[in-house]
Amino acid sequence: MEITRETVAAAVNSYSSVRGHGTLANLMSFARVLKQLGVKIGLSQVIDAARAVRLIDIADRGDFRALLRANLISQKEDFPIFDLAFDCFWREQSYEKVDPEDLETQGEPQESGGRDGGEEQGLEEALADGFAREDSPREPLEEISVPAYSPQESLNQKDFSEMGIEESRAIARAILLIATKIATQISRRKKRARRGATVDPRWTLRRSMKYGGEVVELVNRKRRVKKTRVVLLCDVSGSMDCYSRFLIQFMYGLQNELWGVETFVFSTSLSRITHLIRTKDIGNALEKISGSVLGWSGGTNIGRSLHTFNRHFAPSMMTHRTVTVIISDGWDRGDVGLLEAEMRALKRRCRTVIWLNPLLASENYEPLCKGMQAALPYIDFFLSAHNVDSLVRLGRTLQKMVA
Amino acid sequence: MKPEQLSIEGIQEILRSERYICDRSLATVVYLSLVMGKPLLLEGEAGVGKTEIAKVLAKVLDAKLIRLQCYEGLDANTALYEWNYPKQMLRIKLEEVGHGDKEAVETEIFTEEYLVKRPLLEAIQSDGANPPVLLIDEIDRADMEFEAFLLEVLSDFQITIPEIGTLKAKHRPYVFLTSNRTREIHDALKRRCLYHWIEYPSFEKEYEIITTKFPEIESLMARQICAFMQKVREMNFYKRPGVAETLDWAAALIALNRRGLDDKTVVETMGCVFKYREDLHHLREQIDARQLNLEALLRAAPELAG
Repeated sequence: MEITRETVAAAVNSYSSVRGHGTLANLMSFARVLKQLGVKIGLSQVIDAARAVRLIDIADRGDFRALLRANLISQKEDFPIFDLAFDCFWREQSYEKVDPEDLETQGEPQESGGRDGGEEQGLEEALADGFAREDSPREPLEEISVPAYSPQESLNQKDFSEMGIEESRAIARAILLIATKIATQISRRKKRARRGATVDPRWTLRRSMKYGGEVVELVNRKRRVKKTRVVLLCDVSGSMDCYSRFLIQFMYGLQNELWGVETFVFSTSLSRITHLIRTKDIGNALEKISGSVLGWSGGTNIGRSLHTFNRHFAPSMMTHRTVTVIISDGWDRGDVGLLEAEMRALKRRCRTVIWLNPLLASENYEPLCKGMQAALPYIDFFLSAHNVDSLVRLGRTLQKMVA
Repeated sequence: MKPEQLSIEGIQEILRSERYICDRSLATVVYLSLVMGKPLLLEGEAGVGKTEIAKVLAKVLDAKLIRLQCYEGLDANTALYEWNYPKQMLRIKLEEVGHGDKEAVETEIFTEEYLVKRPLLEAIQSDGANPPVLLIDEIDRADMEFEAFLLEVLSDFQITIPEIGTLKAKHRPYVFLTSNRTREIHDALKRRCLYHWIEYPSFEKEYEIITTKFPEIESLMARQICAFMQKVREMNFYKRPGVAETLDWAAALIALNRRGLDDKTVVETMGCVFKYREDLHHLREQIDARQLNLEALLRAAPELAG
């Protein structure tokens, strides 16, 4: 959902019926408005906000805003939504109604005079009434879920080539989240392997000498962490334009978390862009790259590009543990013989070759073009990468390789 | 100083007396965190003063600062407690020599005397006059598992050690968490915290920070530094400099007896501000191409009251 002044106003108005019945009700409605606008809020946060109101002089609107924001918002990205909603909801006249006295009396059951639950208990009950209980502190942290992003469902299946600018921003964000999650999974796997280390008897005995031969510490034999490098070779010729951007974005997300991701782009020649995408603003970086890389959106010469890679970069980057990911539709205008020779050389040097071809998604695609034909024998995984779902699958494949 | 005696203005004031300039919204959040006893999660770019505020607060509250620096692989043992094995062994040896009561030894070596306290246990056990300040620094670097574990400690402020039992906090510590956002913090943890994002300072605020820290600095140079920092933060650098860099730079310029900035001085001292070769290179290009012009920057800088 895109947040504008109008959508915020609509959300505020939809709660207008509950307005004006005391400050607590107002506070709850405000929390609901925020929830409706996509902000994640738990019941406990609303309770704490209600308690906090008593602690400051709420005649100061700025302090009141800071108070609600600190309690109800927990990521910077939601600040603009909060600010719009705050201004729209706590208009001057209703703002004046905020009265700590209200809060305390509101918390109690209005009809009965009994006060057994205690003040805070009452507050909690009052708030829980109608406010979905979503606060479950013991929920497992391990669970990996696709980020809750509203346009996600429809976009998951949508081909990158069909997207408009607005959609592509949304999808870029989703891709980064997925990439980061996958990468975090991978790094945790590695740690577990280390933890399952075995005891090293020799060192344990040696170390025990300083305690007079008593075994005091167990020395673990740590498995040397063998790191797997991922090398990405991305086709940025005209026919791949709409796909490459997203794929580079995906690798950028991985690069942030994963050791040693190297990124190259190629069309008629090859360029290393690892250092260029090591920046915060990936969109901006891509603009710069497309400006500086020769032949972006031009023709393709896969053979020559691979030759450059094999000759200049492979010796220092490739080991028997390296995973190479090539992203291309295989439409090649160069020498097919050269392409085959270079693919063979590449395959010999590394552990796994993954080829991603966005065209693979269409039902009647057959890898008939000569370039693709020549490369096929040297490919371990031939996958499609045309939408978010396929990227999630790629992530899982990589996860198995790298872990 | 007890937090009950504080107010939002009071916090701003005492922090200023320790040369930490903080705007009203941050002061409000800190005040609420202290009074509500709710942890405060501080986010913001590197070098904007997230860690610093916890340190300064510990000082002004006359509280012990206990710092837990997070890293990948940090586990409960490192953060909580460990048994002092050598000491236990020694005790057993001694008892063997003296033919002591074996069973008694077994229970005795699992008492607090043989416990090595790590930051979290220390925070809970702290028995000074005031509650301690617990700084959990760069929580985003720890694993999710550790975050889950922390959740438990932060909600009950008690720790269970199987051999001893449950240790409850004598004072509830003031907890500050910082994150550089290298990954998202789980919602369950966020919900337990107040949240604040520390922005890069405005020109005026940064000027105030520099002149408070270095009262001897030439006003012109302080303004030049601020104008320069404001500008480069808008530009496209890999690592945008924070306030920490500003202060390093100012200190360096003072040590070099500079009273004002020129292109040459900037280039010579840029290592204080930029720590990446690419960024230094980029800066040089910008200066050579007259994209970064000190005089123009200063002209564009806002007038300072007083």
